[in-house]
Amino acid sequence: MPKQIAEMLIESVTMELPDTKTIRLQWPAGYDVDFKTGQFITVYWPDAPAYKRAYSLSSCALDRGFYEITVKRDGKMGTRLVDWAKPGDKLWVIEPTGRFLPVFDPPGKHLVCIAGGSGVTPFRAFAREATRRELDTRLTILYSVRTTNDIIFREEFQQLEQENERFDFYVTCTRLHPDDPWTGRRGRITAEWVKEHVHDLPNTVFYACGTNELVEATERLVLDELKLPKEQMKTEKWG
Amino acid sequence: MSTQVPADLKYAKSHEWLRVAGDVATVGITDHAQHELTDVVFVELPAVGRKVKAGEACAVVESVKTASDIYAPASGEVIEVNKAVTDDPGLVNGEPYGKGWFFKLKLSDAAEAGALLTPEAYTAQIGG
Repeated sequence: MPKQIAEMLIESVTMELPDTKTIRLQWPAGYDVDFKTGQFITVYWPDAPAYKRAYSLSSCALDRGFYEITVKRDGKMGTRLVDWAKPGDKLWVIEPTGRFLPVFDPPGKHLVCIAGGSGVTPFRAFAREATRRELDTRLTILYSVRTTNDIIFREEFQQLEQENERFDFYVTCTRLHPDDPWTGRRGRITAEWVKEHVHDLPNTVFYACGTNELVEATERLVLDELKLPKEQMKTEKWG
Repeated sequence: MSTQVPADLKYAKSHEWLRVAGDVATVGITDHAQHELTDVVFVELPAVGRKVKAGEACAVVESVKTASDIYAPASGEVIEVNKAVTDDPGLVNGEPYGKGWFFKLKLSDAAEAGALLTPEAYTAQIGG
């Protein structure tokens, strides 16, 4: 069945960071597709139909009537979206697809989500859905950024932590100045740090979203070091 | 999935290939690189006449997933660019070692090209 393609109005934009913008795309009248939290959409401008980019949804499947994507200024599309996209503009949107899906069923799983930079965006959707549905799924985000100024969705994740006792959000900063007052973790994501957060290995599912380097390092940890089957590892490479 | 690593080329760790003919080298990105990028939708090439140093970012390739810099595998002057690939970026996916080439360099130091990875070394790098 061909994928549904629809022209959508940019309803609002929010600068999350100086180089990162959330764009809310309003569904047109009659649009009602079935999709899942964690999937991505593909977008293009009406004046450049051959030039498409895919972005993970940062909104979740319970958010109806709109899609949200959170875009970093990266390449021609990322630059145009971050610097120029404004409410009232229109984008063509190819319906969500992808298999980077949270395992909420069966219940009782622990999802350990490893993210770098803008790779955290689908995990906002995971946390939103788990919290709103009051699931017993445990969710842990381990998030690597350069400095505290690069943390996307910091306030929302902290708010979700308050609402959902089964959700934890941890940040590690890789390039902070030694004098920075940050009291959280510093340095890259390591196998030891990940293992600190795993308490029930058979019921843990690992997710990695970010650069190829981050995703491949996580794959080595999960598949080679922890000797887990591929079914307990889901990845999304974004360069 | 197996990736092609032609035996007659040299390779950079950053996944560019180099085909040397005399003092001119043709540059593109490898089959492994295009596979990792997925569908290429945009290529920006350096201006003809630009002098580049080995390891210098001089082009951009953008796929549906990401944008990546392309680095000069060796030093030299850009003497020709492949307009076909800017008009049809999908050539990078379809023919990475053929019609999907990026630019040609007049080499300023042939020894640099000789020091790049052999096909065997590059295959080992990508886990082939």
